[in-house]
Amino acid sequence: MLKATIDADIFRESIDAIAALVTECRMHVEPDRLYTRAVDTANVAMVSLQVKKEAFETYQATKEELGLDIAKLKNMLGMMGKGDKLDLSLPEGGHRMEIAFNRYRYALTLLDVNTIRKDPNPPTIELPGKVILTGEALQAAIKAASMVSDKIALGIDPDNKFFYMVAEGDTDHIRLELGQSEVESLTLVEVRSLFSLDYLKDMGRVMGKAEKVEIHLGVNHPVKFSFDFADRNGHIDYLLAPRIEAE
Amino acid sequence: MRFIDFSRYCERLEAMSGRLETIELVSEMLALLTEGELPVVVRFVTGRIFPDWSPLKVGIGPNLLYEAVAYVVGEKKAAVVEEINRTGDAGKAIEHLIATKEQTSFFRTELETTEVYQEFEAIARTEGKGSQREKILSLRKLFGNASPLEARYLARLVLEELRIGVGEGNVRDAIARAFHVDSASVEHAYQAINDLGEVARLAKQGEEALQGVAIQLFRPVKMMLAQQGTIAEMVQDHGEVAAEFKYDGSRFQFHKQGSTCRIYSRKLEDVTDALPDIVRQLLPVVKADVILDGEVIAVKEGKPRPFQFVLRRFRRKHEVSSYTEEIELVPHVFDILYHNGQSLIDSPLRERRVHLEKVISGFIAPQLKSSTVNSLETFYQQALDAGHEGIMVKDLASRYTPGVRGKSWVKIKPEVDTLDLAVIGAEWGEGRRAHFFGSFLLACQDKGKLLPVGKVATGINDETLALLYEMFKDLIVSQSGKEVFLEPSIVFEVGYSEIQQSPNYESGYALRFPRFVRVRDDKRVEEIDSLDSIRQRYEKRS
Repeated sequence: MLKATIDADIFRESIDAIAALVTECRMHVEPDRLYTRAVDTANVAMVSLQVKKEAFETYQATKEELGLDIAKLKNMLGMMGKGDKLDLSLPEGGHRMEIAFNRYRYALTLLDVNTIRKDPNPPTIELPGKVILTGEALQAAIKAASMVSDKIALGIDPDNKFFYMVAEGDTDHIRLELGQSEVESLTLVEVRSLFSLDYLKDMGRVMGKAEKVEIHLGVNHPVKFSFDFADRNGHIDYLLAPRIEAE
Repeated sequence: MRFIDFSRYCERLEAMSGRLETIELVSEMLALLTEGELPVVVRFVTGRIFPDWSPLKVGIGPNLLYEAVAYVVGEKKAAVVEEINRTGDAGKAIEHLIATKEQTSFFRTELETTEVYQEFEAIARTEGKGSQREKILSLRKLFGNASPLEARYLARLVLEELRIGVGEGNVRDAIARAFHVDSASVEHAYQAINDLGEVARLAKQGEEALQGVAIQLFRPVKMMLAQQGTIAEMVQDHGEVAAEFKYDGSRFQFHKQGSTCRIYSRKLEDVTDALPDIVRQLLPVVKADVILDGEVIAVKEGKPRPFQFVLRRFRRKHEVSSYTEEIELVPHVFDILYHNGQSLIDSPLRERRVHLEKVISGFIAPQLKSSTVNSLETFYQQALDAGHEGIMVKDLASRYTPGVRGKSWVKIKPEVDTLDLAVIGAEWGEGRRAHFFGSFLLACQDKGKLLPVGKVATGINDETLALLYEMFKDLIVSQSGKEVFLEPSIVFEVGYSEIQQSPNYESGYALRFPRFVRVRDDKRVEEIDSLDSIRQRYEKRS
């Protein structure tokens, strides 16, 4: 059972965050939060999202697992205006969720959860490098890199004390260095990994709205982007598997 | 069975050449399968995903496949195409790409053969807006979880060409061996239900289950086929024989139950909607639930028109009404396979004809019963005079054997030297023909493998060349220089003056003065001429 009211923008951010990687997911409803964890079809990128009860204006729920058609929900978002309130309601064991906003009552048929991939287990990995910067700066860097290449290297240079991003194209090259004074926080360990910009571009659009994003890095290891939304009542982690540079 | 185990079997089969060891290995694999897995794996090993009678088609061309693989390996599609061009084998190229991909992933989930099938079924069932996207997502999921070896066979399954040299005959014998049933019962059941996968499942239950199968309405069976032969031989072998005109039209199978009917082509496609006039003619005059076999011919001012006119209509699925006026189509029915709940395929032709004459008035192909060569030859001459291709001479005691090209039916027609061959490649044309394919690489079949026998470039006018380009452009598997490799799915009828031995082509033979005659829209690649028949023709001449 779920009965809740939420600000349309918070709902939009949540759906956009998931839609960057998958078209459907298993949403876990619990008395104090909603959460989901999903992996893209090629098992390269993961998202985990949590929205606490406090992010809602009203929230009443019992434990349940819903199959959400994220692609459909994303289409529906276009109909909602800024500042709209959204009423979500799903009766106990129901197969349709009613989403009411701005005089619309949208009945969304839920997917059979058994047809959706099970929650992936996030890998247990140690990522010693950490840097915190604004979502805006991160998104700008991703955009810049994609002008010259389809890959980007992220790393920390502890000797010169900066965080860097490098994109090497066939002909062009772009590099961005941010020193300790230009980021919120920087751990000085040597790390570097290469990532596909195809995934990062989609994630970047979501991260661009975050006030700050924590980036966790290792050597030829996945990257983890961690950020809050909805006054810290919502939290998103993205994990992206690296590309291993050919010898 | 896990898909990796299936792939390992395929790899071993691919390296084998002997028939007996192939049968033994396939039967070893079949014995390991559950009833649920059997139909799937049996179809997979013959390079099929769905039974031949099923309307489901995966419908994924090379382009969509390459796009999905590109995503999984984290490369541009062009890089995938380049690798395939380099190796000339999509399966092996994709295997290599997956093995050397730079993009890592968090994990792989083991693929089960049945899950792979379900994914294909989901792909086949997606239609309408956004279906391309859905198909790509499914493919990404498959290849995202595939090991390099699995990817080789997944790619080939998608393209429906497994290239492991396992033919239907081998699988039939392997089923018999794995489940200790008679090979003839397996063959018989296969003829009736037209799905070796389902037959294997029944064989596992035992001989009795196999015996219990029967031909079913709205599940088309393969058509019985004829060999080349002579009137004298037939009379000598069988005494009294039946002779019918050999119509230059298109074979069709008519299924009727109550007031509904469906029409299937020789390739077992449902062509009912393309042939409303045949429905209109047959439905009112057929007085029972039946499956009929016949030929549709095109008639203009009382004269039969060439084959192409019929095919044009078979191919047309839209705007049928405007076409029905141009060409008048007439059905000629000559056999019956099913009558009010009773299968007739095991009854002799003589009895089937009695049933046929009971259930339908009109549209029955005239039949001459005779045991003298003279009267049959006169009949043959009449057929030619009336503008037909020749005659069919049939053993009156013979059963209807679906899909079999046996000695019970023999076709008598003026000698023409043509072969039906699969188009497996092409070359870009030059000058005026630069944007089209100028010549086509042809192949015959040998135990499930396609072997090149030469190229054809003559006999194709500019208009046809443009049409052919339209047909082939989405079948391009890879390119290297001017050469293009094509997914084998289109059959050409090709004329020639002589067959020669040749070291230039893998088949060991080449055609002298090959010329394009027509596209055989009604034939599947599995039905093209075999290396054996080319060898026989060669030996007959020399």
